[in-house]
Amino acid sequence: MNKVTPAELWLTIAPEWIQNLPEWLEDILFKGYKCFIYGDRYMLFLKGLKHTLILTFFALLIGIALGIVVSLIRVSWDKNGSEMHGPAKWVLGFFNIIGKIYLTVIRGTPVVVQIMIMFFVIFASSRNKLLVGCLCFGINSGAYVAEIFRSGIMSIDAGQTEAGRSLGFGYIPTMRYIILPQAFKNVLPTLGNEFIVLLKETAVVGYIGLSDLTYAANTVGGNTYEYLYPLLLAAAIYLIMVMFFSYLVGRLERRLRNSER
Amino acid sequence: MNDNIIIRAEGVQKYFKDGAIKALDGVSAEIRKGEVVVIIGPSGSGKSTFLRCLNLLEVPTGGHIYFNDVDITDKKVNINLHRQKMGMVFQHFNLFPHMTILQNMTLAPIQLLKKSKAEAEAKAMSLLERVGLADRADAYPSQLSGGQKQRVAIVRALAMEPEVMLFDEPTSALDPEMVGEVLEVMKQLAHEGMTMVVVTHEMGFAREVGNRVLFMADGKLLEENTPQELFGNPQHPRLQDFLRKVL
Repeated sequence: MNKVTPAELWLTIAPEWIQNLPEWLEDILFKGYKCFIYGDRYMLFLKGLKHTLILTFFALLIGIALGIVVSLIRVSWDKNGSEMHGPAKWVLGFFNIIGKIYLTVIRGTPVVVQIMIMFFVIFASSRNKLLVGCLCFGINSGAYVAEIFRSGIMSIDAGQTEAGRSLGFGYIPTMRYIILPQAFKNVLPTLGNEFIVLLKETAVVGYIGLSDLTYAANTVGGNTYEYLYPLLLAAAIYLIMVMFFSYLVGRLERRLRNSER
Repeated sequence: MNDNIIIRAEGVQKYFKDGAIKALDGVSAEIRKGEVVVIIGPSGSGKSTFLRCLNLLEVPTGGHIYFNDVDITDKKVNINLHRQKMGMVFQHFNLFPHMTILQNMTLAPIQLLKKSKAEAEAKAMSLLERVGLADRADAYPSQLSGGQKQRVAIVRALAMEPEVMLFDEPTSALDPEMVGEVLEVMKQLAHEGMTMVVVTHEMGFAREVGNRVLFMADGKLLEENTPQELFGNPQHPRLQDFLRKVL
């Protein structure tokens, strides 16, 4: 069976006035048609976008959860480790070392290598690329978020901890009610930046063959020999998402700051 | 044992850097119920460290602190429960900047004393009334002056209904014209019978309000007497020297 080429189809469906446009303009429209509409190629972009968003969202959740836990372990050890005794000290010390190794390894190796190791070695038996992707980017982001939170916690004056403790709060409630809310506000801009980086970083997930936005653009480019338009579209979608995200973070920032003026 | 004694410090030592710095070198003192004890001394004498040892914000290297006859330096003691009954006021106020004044004052009573929000707020408002700041209840700390902040810090501690109040140089970070309003609140508190331990450079306050004055230097308690005696008839040469410089 002979497949209809895009060019043939274009001639049958494009209205006359389009075909009468200047040649360069018609050419643009034809290429757009070829890259995005012919063979329902826009579906590739939509599916890719869906995967990119899922990856970013779950990696974000995993990253924040991991980051909070690791930063609290590191801060607790730095502040109290020398004054602790007995088993509690060994347990915290052990987790602190695990945390340090985690930070060193994750921040010291490229995320592309990490995701290939995760998919081709550690989870070699799994074919669920999306799950492995979420996990890998989550673990990767967690290391950076941990350091961001740690700097935020350390930026809070020691007097705040003392005031909380002097009222009778234990270490953990003091963190929860007094230190973390202030630390979170301080690190929000940095955290927002990390999320933007994460969103764009998911583009390397194509290395394990998951069809995210970048992969979709690349696929369409490969099929049509027309790379400019698919890549421009992918770039534009990333840009719009980042701008929207920055706007949200900015609003949250302003709302938190307003409460102090 | 005298059951009027609320805090008893026994040979309290605090060493920093593995003993290279002896901030406290065996300090013993007793605080009785209803008493206002003022601690004076040159900077670096260990008076703030000693005060902070009383509620274990600074963990002593050696010695014991008894609070209501319980040795709170014992590792098995839950210090958080005892700290609820020891209010503390800091040199730099240490209000929580992300909370309103009212939230600052009700956080601990609601979370720790399990008071209802309404009950805690009513108590907080009546305390704010007393220090003339009821109209600032919904303000944030950054909107207050230093003197106002310190008055809030005092009533924040009082909201926990403590048995004793510890003051760590409460007026040292204030502009001179704001010192008076804070001292006034402290005086009022003393007249109501609150047990207070005050580290201060305000000799006037020590003389007027203090029942007893402790003089510390080089991590040691060198002299302890009524204000009249201590200021009028100082014995130790270090105290004589110190008084000559500050009075």
